[in-house]
Amino acid sequence: MSDLTILVINNYGQFCHLIHRAVRDLDMETRIIANTLSNEEILNMQPDGLILSGGPGIDRIGRCEEIVTQIDLPILGICLGHQLMARAFGGEITTGKKGGYAAVNVEILDEDEILKGLGPTTGVWASHADEVVRLPPDFINLARSDVCGIEAMRHISKPLFGVQWHPEVSHTDKGDELLMNFFRICGQV
Amino acid sequence: MVKVNKFIEQAVQQIKQSIDEKAILALSGGVDSSVAAVLSYRAIKELVIPIYVDTGLMRKGETKRIQEVFGYMNLQIIYAQDRFIDALRGLTEPEEKRKAVGETFIRVFEDEARKINARYLIQGTIYPDRIESEGGIKSHHNVGGLPSVIHFDKIIEPISTLYKDEVRDVARALELPEEISNRMPFPGPGLSVRIIGEVTRDKLDVVRKANAIVEEELLETFRPWQTLAALLGKGTGVKGDQRIHGWIIAVRAVESRDGMTARPMELTWEILRKIESRITGEIPTVARVVYDISPKPPATIEFE
Repeated sequence: MSDLTILVINNYGQFCHLIHRAVRDLDMETRIIANTLSNEEILNMQPDGLILSGGPGIDRIGRCEEIVTQIDLPILGICLGHQLMARAFGGEITTGKKGGYAAVNVEILDEDEILKGLGPTTGVWASHADEVVRLPPDFINLARSDVCGIEAMRHISKPLFGVQWHPEVSHTDKGDELLMNFFRICGQV
Repeated sequence: MVKVNKFIEQAVQQIKQSIDEKAILALSGGVDSSVAAVLSYRAIKELVIPIYVDTGLMRKGETKRIQEVFGYMNLQIIYAQDRFIDALRGLTEPEEKRKAVGETFIRVFEDEARKINARYLIQGTIYPDRIESEGGIKSHHNVGGLPSVIHFDKIIEPISTLYKDEVRDVARALELPEEISNRMPFPGPGLSVRIIGEVTRDKLDVVRKANAIVEEELLETFRPWQTLAALLGKGTGVKGDQRIHGWIIAVRAVESRDGMTARPMELTWEILRKIESRITGEIPTVARVVYDISPKPPATIEFE
């Protein structure tokens, strides 16, 4: 598994360039692209998978909801990318009672393909005020923590995944493992 | 990771091909602009004119070291302390302070650029600067700033594909002194963002001394990714039977890979007590020292 092309869709998160870096350091081809590109423009770059970055707010996600529901590729949503995926498929997001910042201990409920090797608990870094409070139909909850009930999710049949934490930052344990799991899924499709 | 020697070769070649007359470069002494300066010097020798502005917001001894390290180049040092203090007078909002320093820097630099009459600008922009500026997280002086005020025929950014730790690898390969290749990040607005509220000469003097003490005690022994002292405000103290209303100094030391996330260092009581005793002992107007235990997020590394 090498030479996959993974496009990072920029939702203006401060860690967006770290996703690019993590993907590049794991020997994949990668580019950061604008979240306003059309499906056709994206597909012309012949990606094997897409990553939706985090960002400051749901009002700056460009065409991400169309991208996530219309493009038939493995997609990983991170933080805001996870939340917008939930909303696009009919889930609900709200501002949590308490935000999740810095170190969070996540309990893995189901390793599935995406969290393989991360259970039973994994130490991650987070930075979010909002969270997914109700899963969309056809999605399952893969992880939880004391600050957030839905830390990770996937679609029951499509290769669509979301994580609330940031696998791309250096203080997250096993961030590279999560990304490698995602690339493996991208390589199989 | 980037292949350092190949990178240097290509960067030097690229500068040679793009520049055939004098070009100016804003040198801060940080690792990015230092590497850009050395690469440019290798490529075009005296044609590159590094300009260093002493804002009066620098750390102890900084300007002197710049002279020592980059003196072999066509270096221009501009002493502009008064212009920065004037621009900061009365300002208390962090964003206004940053803006005042940024604008003054551009004006000082612009005056020099006009005198030199260079058509080319070389900048030490790195990859994250560009992405962060596009997102509007923070305006970066390398990306906005100068080129929008002065017209340059050409802007060359020789390290714009690199990440910070890669720039450090290149700095080591270029044999820059370790104090530069391993230099801690230092904010563009300098010590002005390590003073909560209005910047005055008195406060600058206090915070500069406190930063020097913290660096002396922590840098070599504990190798923090970044360490600093900030002046928070005033509190009551008692020194030698005299009640004083003295400054409160916060000490911060964090470990990090890239500054995007950070963890406070778990320093021992012994070293924390030593820092407290030196700061309150050596700076008469300080009455209290605190240690900041916040990670990033939610706090940032700098105070403003």
